[in-house]
Amino acid sequence: MKESPETCEVSTSPGFLQKGYSMTALKEFLKKDLVQYIIKRVLMFIPTLLLISILVFFVIQLPPGDYVSAHIAALATEGEFVDADYAASLREDYGLDLPVWQQYIKWVKDIIWTPTDSAYYRLYGSHHNWKFSFAYGRDVWSVVEDRLGLTIGVTFIILLFQYVVSIPIAVYASTHQYSAGDYISAFIGFIGTAIPNFILAIILMYLSYVWTGNANVGLFTQEMLQNGIHLYNFGDFLKRMIIPIIVIGTSGTCGIIRSVRAQMLDEVSKQYTLTARAKGVSERTIVMKYCFRAAINPTVSGLGGVLSSLFSGSTVTAMVLNMQIQGPVLFKALQCQDMYLAGAIVMVQAVLVVIGILFSDIILAFLDPRIRYSGGGR
Amino acid sequence: MNEVNHSENILEVKDLHVDISMHEGTLTPVRGVSFEIKKGETLGLVGESGSGKSLTCKAILGINEKKCKSRGEIIFQSGEMGGKIDLLSLNPTGKEIRSIRGKEISMIFQEPMVAFSPMYTIGNQINEATLLHITKDKKKAKEISLEMMKKVGIANAEKRYNQYPHEFSGGMLQRALIAMALVCNPDLLIADEPTTALDVTIQAQILELMKEMQKEFNMAILFITHDLGVVAKMCDRVAVMYLGKVVESADSQTIYANPQHPYTRGLIGSVHKIGAQKKEDRLFSIEGTVPLAMNLPEACGFYDRCDARIEGLCDKADPELIEIEPGHKIACFNCPHEACKKQRAEAEARIKAREAGEGGNA
Amino acid sequence: MAKKLKTKEDYYLASQWTLMGRKLKKHKLAIAAFIVLAILYLGALFADFLAPYSLEEYDGIYRNTAPSKVHVMHEGEFVGPFIYSLEKTINREDFSVTMSENTEEYYKVKFFVHGCEYKILGFIPCDLHLFGVSEGSKGGSGAKIMLFGADSLGRDIFSRVLLGSRISLSIPFASAFISLFLGITIGSISGYFGGTTDIIIQRIIEVIGAVPQIPLWMALSAAIPAGISTVKMYFYMTLILSFINWTGMARIVRGKFLSLKNEDYVMAARLAGVSTWKIIWKHLVPGFMSYLIVSLTLGIPGSIVGETSMSYLGLGIKSPATSWGVLLQEASSVTDVAANPHKLIPILFVTITVLAFNFLGDGMRDAADPYK
Repeated sequence: MKESPETCEVSTSPGFLQKGYSMTALKEFLKKDLVQYIIKRVLMFIPTLLLISILVFFVIQLPPGDYVSAHIAALATEGEFVDADYAASLREDYGLDLPVWQQYIKWVKDIIWTPTDSAYYRLYGSHHNWKFSFAYGRDVWSVVEDRLGLTIGVTFIILLFQYVVSIPIAVYASTHQYSAGDYISAFIGFIGTAIPNFILAIILMYLSYVWTGNANVGLFTQEMLQNGIHLYNFGDFLKRMIIPIIVIGTSGTCGIIRSVRAQMLDEVSKQYTLTARAKGVSERTIVMKYCFRAAINPTVSGLGGVLSSLFSGSTVTAMVLNMQIQGPVLFKALQCQDMYLAGAIVMVQAVLVVIGILFSDIILAFLDPRIRYSGGGR
Repeated sequence: MNEVNHSENILEVKDLHVDISMHEGTLTPVRGVSFEIKKGETLGLVGESGSGKSLTCKAILGINEKKCKSRGEIIFQSGEMGGKIDLLSLNPTGKEIRSIRGKEISMIFQEPMVAFSPMYTIGNQINEATLLHITKDKKKAKEISLEMMKKVGIANAEKRYNQYPHEFSGGMLQRALIAMALVCNPDLLIADEPTTALDVTIQAQILELMKEMQKEFNMAILFITHDLGVVAKMCDRVAVMYLGKVVESADSQTIYANPQHPYTRGLIGSVHKIGAQKKEDRLFSIEGTVPLAMNLPEACGFYDRCDARIEGLCDKADPELIEIEPGHKIACFNCPHEACKKQRAEAEARIKAREAGEGGNA
Repeated sequence: MAKKLKTKEDYYLASQWTLMGRKLKKHKLAIAAFIVLAILYLGALFADFLAPYSLEEYDGIYRNTAPSKVHVMHEGEFVGPFIYSLEKTINREDFSVTMSENTEEYYKVKFFVHGCEYKILGFIPCDLHLFGVSEGSKGGSGAKIMLFGADSLGRDIFSRVLLGSRISLSIPFASAFISLFLGITIGSISGYFGGTTDIIIQRIIEVIGAVPQIPLWMALSAAIPAGISTVKMYFYMTLILSFINWTGMARIVRGKFLSLKNEDYVMAARLAGVSTWKIIWKHLVPGFMSYLIVSLTLGIPGSIVGETSMSYLGLGIKSPATSWGVLLQEASSVTDVAANPHKLIPILFVTITVLAFNFLGDGMRDAADPYK
């Protein structure tokens, strides 16, 4: 802590922070430090991606027996018989005759780039070969892509809901410690984190059915599926979102409330609140300007975890509530041991979480003047 | 020093108590503190850890934690409010007290490293006080704040203004903290062990700075410390606190030359003297620690550790702070001065009467 | 832990476990949770005895019936607890089926009745059950007592909840211990050796942590071959659930290692020529065991939810083996549940168990914190 004044002059933190939030400094900062930081973080993203792909490939290899034989056997039970040539070309495409590590390399290579002269490109017109899903009878990526937008959309809405609801409650609870409101929010918080998502889904579905005669299952009404979502039926869509938001969002919301409240209480007892109070600053300003501002940082850095638990919670819940997101697809893929599809979904979700972590790191770099970029921050 | 002696009191603390209610009972770490500070003088408040110094000075500003309840009187001569007001009668989160805090009474803290929020620039945090109390004009406020930063010896103030606390050294932060406290020219500065967390060389610089600033702004300082060396250097008068009470107060020369209370004698004896060689000159220390201020019996708080205690008296009555010479007050029975003897006789009579009553009942 | 700490010396000399136990005792909610869990686990241990019927015993007439009504008054006369047998009547117009009680004959609820055979704790053959109904007042038979009602095959949900709790309650426990072992081993390797090993292990932990838990568990369930025995299924599930939980444990162990390995007592042991493994297990691990136990307890709810959700989806424990998740499969259709709300009863057990583990874990976390 005790550095001499001389060493302070040579500061290690970026220029932008020394010059305040003025526009010119911001521009300069964007040019230098942030870009550097982002590049560094993105480079760190690559080994992570590699490890995820190894994990996913391990998952793909899990079922006993090889994939093509299983596929051909599955077709046979449906009365479709596969000629030897097709089987051989499949075996080659999956690289089944190669040692496992070469299979992995081939799999990664095919995903990154499949040349124009390959059979896959001629069939599906894509340079990224995620292999074939026999559960859906299409190429894997098209199945994943189908529901990717909706999955991200629904997740984003719930994420937004979580932060919008939990932060004000947490601030209230921390400024009114040991009040009735604090106890109520703590109690609900505990129940909310403890009850498994899909069980809450079943209960709410049951209650919804008993009270309204409609289980409100599925994201869309029959009518929406025919006509698409427009302004006039957007209300219905939101109604359909109520149960998913409550079910999937509750546990995360309660988690955020607990952590922000604890963080706020931590900050409230810090010395600088006393300094501010001795200066004549009002309690409200102390809470909002100082404590809340400091409590935001750990909340932001928790984004990755929240996102991960959102995907985790939404998977089973989506099946209970019949939501048109990726969870049910994963389930179907696993039921048929359609492992390349299952692997792709797990991979996409993991990558989305890692991107979330990347985002939170970058936001954190903006928010916290103490983060020294050289150390990577985390 | 003599000219300030006759001027009026800026602050009078009368019989201040601070209660903290806990599960186990009520803790009373401050048990009837009284002292006064005159305009422009420096009063040193001395005592061990746990003697209630910090709680006392936070009680003046009303910034103790919610669970701490203060009672007694704290009379402040306010220029803003035009006269004497009892600070304890004000709502601790209300507008009146907030207009006094930072403007007329400000405070600097023990650990400058944690006294600033790490999230905002130093300039922002100093300027906050300026904007609250002096001007709403942001440009003007920044000028005033910068001016003060330069005055407290922060070199390159324009650049420093936009830096964050983690880019400052401890000494620089204490300077910044002083700048923040002085930016509104307060009449009273409360300094809660401002140099304890700093290196010795930096300590001297900061003390020097505080003296300079006091001269420039003609403000009173309430200087809290456990370091008697600092007291000798800084203070006009000294109040020695033990277990939530002032046990002796006098001007600093008197305290050093002629300490009367056994505790003060112990404290002064425990200051290391350079050149001590003889065995008898070994560093003196007071046995034991300050007891917990809960369910205290009616006795002198220092009884257990005192080397001049009178059995049968000091453990049955608590001496009051009385004046033995002009400007010199002491709370002890075992003292040759007339006033003390009188108090002792009264206490003995009281105890006798009480015991007789109890004996009669039994 | 029962012994009282009377003097200060006792307090200073007390082991961390004694201190933890003392603090835990003050935590009322944690104690209540502990009692609830003890009851649940004892119930699982003696499930055969407590359950009036076996896992697969069914009676077609009882399909989807609501919980049995236990009466005490028969035709205005007190006869003690008893039930009536059920009668099915079919409405000839819309073919709807209604069940009604046949009040002519009553069946007394008796304690310690003979029923299906089982083995106490797996080796003592026995056919006694805590309670059940035998023959009716007029010598008839055919009434069954189903406290939680029956499922779609006419099986007693009460018996199945009890018998299913064996799997639901023991899998998370078993997997917690595997996680503990893996976590300590991998975490200590990472912390003790440091360098490249540490970096690689840390990255792996990070990646496993980033993958959403339940989807990964589901995907890992692909490794369970079809048509295997209950025991093997159990074994696979335990392994799959441990696959993620060890990472948290390893992280704690590594952190503790980094801070402990330079302590003097470790250095002293090393100078005395104690082997690395012995240092790890004898000197370092006991130093942070309490933290591990706490994080283990807090990890169990996650495993319970994982097992329940996977079995619910049919990806984990499969019939004929039964866990709470399998029982909940009955509750997957809204209309079915609306008609037979008693099928939601297993939810109560899952929720209570998860809550109890959370409360206990929270209490233990507070108790293990030496600075409180």
